[in-house]
Amino acid sequence: MKEIVDIDIIDLAISFTILAIPIVFFLYFRVKIVRDVLISVIRMIIQLMLVAIYLEWIFKMNNAWVNSLWVLVMIFVGIFTTIGRVRLHWKEFIIPFFIAGLSSVAIIDSFFLGFVIKLDYVFDARYFIPITGMILGNAMNHNVVGLSTYFNGLSEKSELYYFLLTNTGNSRMALRPYIASAISQGLNPLIATMSVIGLISLPGMMTGQILGGSSPVIAIKYQIMIMLAIFVGCTLNLILSIIISNAFVFDSYGRFREEVLKK
Amino acid sequence: MINFDHVSLRFQDKTIFHDLNLDIKKGERVSLIGGSGRGKTTLLKLVQGYLLPDSGTIKIYDEVLTSKSIHHLRKEMAWIPQNINLPVSKGIELMRLMDITDKSTSISIFLEELGLNASIIHDDFSKISGGQKQRIVISIVLSLDKSIILLDEPTSSLDDKSIKMLLKVMKSLENKTIVSASHNQVWNNQADKVIEL
Repeated sequence: MKEIVDIDIIDLAISFTILAIPIVFFLYFRVKIVRDVLISVIRMIIQLMLVAIYLEWIFKMNNAWVNSLWVLVMIFVGIFTTIGRVRLHWKEFIIPFFIAGLSSVAIIDSFFLGFVIKLDYVFDARYFIPITGMILGNAMNHNVVGLSTYFNGLSEKSELYYFLLTNTGNSRMALRPYIASAISQGLNPLIATMSVIGLISLPGMMTGQILGGSSPVIAIKYQIMIMLAIFVGCTLNLILSIIISNAFVFDSYGRFREEVLKK
Repeated sequence: MINFDHVSLRFQDKTIFHDLNLDIKKGERVSLIGGSGRGKTTLLKLVQGYLLPDSGTIKIYDEVLTSKSIHHLRKEMAWIPQNINLPVSKGIELMRLMDITDKSTSISIFLEELGLNASIIHDDFSKISGGQKQRIVISIVLSLDKSIILLDEPTSSLDDKSIKMLLKVMKSLENKTIVSASHNQVWNNQADKVIEL
């Protein structure tokens, strides 16, 4: 395998000129997102530069505590992004989402890094950080969809919940259709992605590994493993987030506390 | 059996109930009447613990309704809401959600007594009328055989013939305490007690 071709910093800077194409279209069609696009691009550059500096240092140290601390930071960033995008109040959700995120990462990482890849050192930064990052990044996106479906359903279609709560006398049964709907809405995009992977999309991790010099066979084996890890990790994270949050979003009479949602 | 003792409730700066006393006996059929906004639905929600009084106590089977007691008291209650536009597509789907597919015989009997063919339970709600949907939901809820039946405007989508059939079914139920909120005169005339709010 050939060594990967490095990108010169000047060439990378020149690559930003291609942004002119979408910006011209946005301006022509008067789509008011140019400012948002520029802010996002600047944020991306700063965040990735900082991450590059952090990761260089973290990879060099390769210390279990430092690596775990980095994963904790990733979990909290995911939690705050989810809480903001679902429009929830952080006070009620930070603990349930943290427990859900930490448990799903612990289960998935132990299984795949310890049992499948059989690493001697499961906290090895080269594996632990990118794989956990992929699980958490995907989980965040699917959690936003699933949790929005769940809480908006309880708020806007509450008549089914109260109908089932009185008639069945069982809160688990009353919540079941809302949880089922959240899981299916949250995970459907992931199932669709999995079904066409390799046909109409080449996943980033696999592409990155191939560019980094790995053989396509190894890259594909890793990709299969990571897709399974992402799917199970997202499912666990979403279900745990819902189940643990339920302890905080209903009052002692079983009524949904609308005030946990930001109007 | 259902007692309201000096119950007061204000909602959005409006007094709904002030010092309300009620005594509904076991097996009684009670109709709540009164214009819109007088608190008929609110009263049914207070019984179910979905609204709480600002003062006074509510007792069901001599047990004060609290956050602890409500969970087992609800097991005695059946609830037919006014809004039957539940987000389910078929009667059979609602039965599955309630884990009562074993009650299909009882549901079929109620459906037939209400003038419907038992097979309608498999029909899509979007293809049947509001009155048929209402009778399906009523049949499903009655099959639960609960001792307290709470109904909010049970005749709102029914024609005169269906109302008569529903009244006959309700009369045939034994040892049930039935509390309904209705604007329908024929329905209210059949009650043991009419309470004007």
